Amino acid sequence: MVRKTIAFSPFTRLEGDLQIRVDIENGQIVSSRASGTLYRGFETMLRGRDPLDAIVITCRVCGQCGLTHSAAAAEAIRSLLGVRMPRNARLAGNVMLAIEAILSHFTHFYLSFAPDFTEPPYCERQAQIFLPLAGSSFLRALREREALLGVLGLIAGKWPNSLAIQPGGTTRPVTASEIRRAHGLLSEYLRFVEEQVLGCELEEWLQLRSVPELERWLGSGSHAAGDLGTFAALSLRHGLTGIGSWPARFLSSGGWSGPDGETLLPPGFHDGLTREFDSARITEHVKHSWYDLRGGALPPASGETEPAPERDDAYSWAKAPRYEGQPAETGPLARLIIAQDPLIADLAKKYGPSAFVREIARLHESIRLLKQVGAWLGEVDPEEPFYQEAPQALSGTGVGLVEAPRGTLGHWLRVEEGKIQNYQIITPTGWNLSPRDSVDEPGPLETALVGVPVPDPDRPAAMAYVVKSFDPCLYCTVH
Amino acid sequence: MANLLWIQAVCCGGETASLLNSDHPHLPAALRTLGATLLGHGYFHDQDTGRAEQVIEECASGKRHVDLLAVEGAVHPQAPDGSAWASAKPLAEWIRAIAQVADCTVAIGTCASFGGVMACGRNPLRATGLQFHRDQKGGLLGASFRSKMGVPVVNVPGCPAHPDWIIGTLWALRANRLDEADLDRFNRPRVFYGKLAHHACPRNEYYEFKASAAAYSQQGCLFENLGCKGTLCESDCNERLWLARTGSCTRGGFPCLSCTSPLFPDGFTPFFKTAKIGGIPTSLPLDVPKAWYVGISGLSKLACPERLRRNAVSFKPVWAGNQESNEDGPQNDRL
Repeated sequence: MVRKTIAFSPFTRLEGDLQIRVDIENGQIVSSRASGTLYRGFETMLRGRDPLDAIVITCRVCGQCGLTHSAAAAEAIRSLLGVRMPRNARLAGNVMLAIEAILSHFTHFYLSFAPDFTEPPYCERQAQIFLPLAGSSFLRALREREALLGVLGLIAGKWPNSLAIQPGGTTRPVTASEIRRAHGLLSEYLRFVEEQVLGCELEEWLQLRSVPELERWLGSGSHAAGDLGTFAALSLRHGLTGIGSWPARFLSSGGWSGPDGETLLPPGFHDGLTREFDSARITEHVKHSWYDLRGGALPPASGETEPAPERDDAYSWAKAPRYEGQPAETGPLARLIIAQDPLIADLAKKYGPSAFVREIARLHESIRLLKQVGAWLGEVDPEEPFYQEAPQALSGTGVGLVEAPRGTLGHWLRVEEGKIQNYQIITPTGWNLSPRDSVDEPGPLETALVGVPVPDPDRPAAMAYVVKSFDPCLYCTVH
Repeated sequence: MANLLWIQAVCCGGETASLLNSDHPHLPAALRTLGATLLGHGYFHDQDTGRAEQVIEECASGKRHVDLLAVEGAVHPQAPDGSAWASAKPLAEWIRAIAQVADCTVAIGTCASFGGVMACGRNPLRATGLQFHRDQKGGLLGASFRSKMGVPVVNVPGCPAHPDWIIGTLWALRANRLDEADLDRFNRPRVFYGKLAHHACPRNEYYEFKASAAAYSQQGCLFENLGCKGTLCESDCNERLWLARTGSCTRGGFPCLSCTSPLFPDGFTPFFKTAKIGGIPTSLPLDVPKAWYVGISGLSKLACPERLRRNAVSFKPVWAGNQESNEDGPQNDRL
């Protein structure tokens, strides 16, 4: 048997510094290693700074989900202080974070995922609508972004790197006429989603509750010609339903907390059964990461970040986060499984947590969130405050868990004498693309790649689809 | 067609995200005005142009001509491992090599221009900008670097840079409409960085009368108490506006942090409050003499109309002419 080791990097249409090294036997991956290869040192940058600086600095971890990072930093400070945001701020915050998620999901789908079908080995005529900078769907998706950005601008001022979410609330009160404008812009974006992504009204899609209902939907009306229908047909034809599964354990800290503390998508941990989520069960391992080993596996509240690039037994700048000592997947699929979304649960039952189901979950979540943005906007009361002064964080510990577009994001903070003593970040891709841990257990992607066919090492198309189905953000991972 | 090689170095992808936000015109049309093929970029790279590492090698060797080299992110000149992007040698080496053969080189964002957030604090990784390290000339390419076109690295800072600044600068270079005389002391195109973020800020009337917000979400000026650096920040943010021309930092209710400046971020701490000595902000507006500032602000505070005094510390409008009754008066005219 011939065993071959190949390193793949970079990936076409994927940002950030990722290298995947795979062992191939008989044209199939038998083991893989995911490496984040660029270290920037955000956690060490924060030591000794004013706690509020974390809002400014961590937002620069990632150009696509910076608002979520700043929200996690603000939440960590709030948890240290034991204060809450006013109701309007929670609603406005939800709108901002949901728009960031929708932008991220559609950027992923149109810029990174769908165009692969235009290239070898697929070269699908049907996929020409996704051709970068040329296909009709690609162009319209980029153009329609403006409407959603307009809603964001009215509430967050600027993006990337808005500082509108602060410990005391949101900085921009929204007037009634601005809410009206936002509704109008949102309806423009909805029209794009209904006309082009779905080929039907939002509500019709949201009523689908099972695989047979989805199949019937795909076969009726103009749904098959929509972007989602085209993607589904291409995925089924090329076996994206059969790759990328693993014995998944799913994690969510609870997405988009509503005005009264409840979450739109509930927190939980799912390994067949859904159980309560407890952030105290998280540890980070560094046995295979370029960090000093003396800490071993530490809970993030007392985590350490001591780079050790000389360690040649390590292979990634990413640490290995574990829940109850086990790897876990996070992201739209995890959120919707834990929320017992009927359509996604049924798809996962039939096709497993495969590349196809992960991608459908991402689109489905975008559609659910779009509907919710309108509802949250409607609940904002311009007569009520958006902000109430929060005291200075002088000492103590705090944790901020926020669902980012790509999954669970956690910030852990310790403050003494008004300065940050320790800051630890665990990102969604940190979970999904984690390296091996203390007992050499691979991360979710590393396991999901096993068994994926690589008939032509020059064009590892199926492998790229499995990697991309996790929507990896390497900027976030190696912060 | 010209070739635009876009390299993502030590970055967060924020410049790319900002570029995708182009509107009037949208990105595809904006790229068409450049008449350039986008090479190397994580998103727009397509297989017809060859594998990314092959492209970078061909660009470095001169086999493929680079009309414009755009770099997003700082560089680690001394990184042991470099980037997965082109693992044959550290990314900084590739950038150095391609800058020698490219017609011109553009630093996109504050990190590529000056080091920015990636080089903040103690900067143990020694991240730096292409031709500046913070406000000192040097950086990766050295103070005397000139591209084949004869210009230094053109800096397009901002965290992130506005999409118009990015496209506008690339276009001006392509069209031979930008030379050294058009750049300011930090090699930024004056056309975008010749104004202040303060200009056209809707809080300017509050600024004039020193009617200041005491907390976020209030309508007053953010300069006196809440750390706004808009009077120091050389950019046209509040005239140009962001996100489908709906907002800016100060319109979003949070302070401008002067992110287009070479000393961003560490030169602008504390971010969220205004450092003062004897009640006078230490960071006075650019080119306003201190004695005049103190004199004028004392007077203007005295002259401040009641309408501004009250609105400055209110999150919702308090109407002029009915100050007495507005607390419980009808609010339907807010529409």
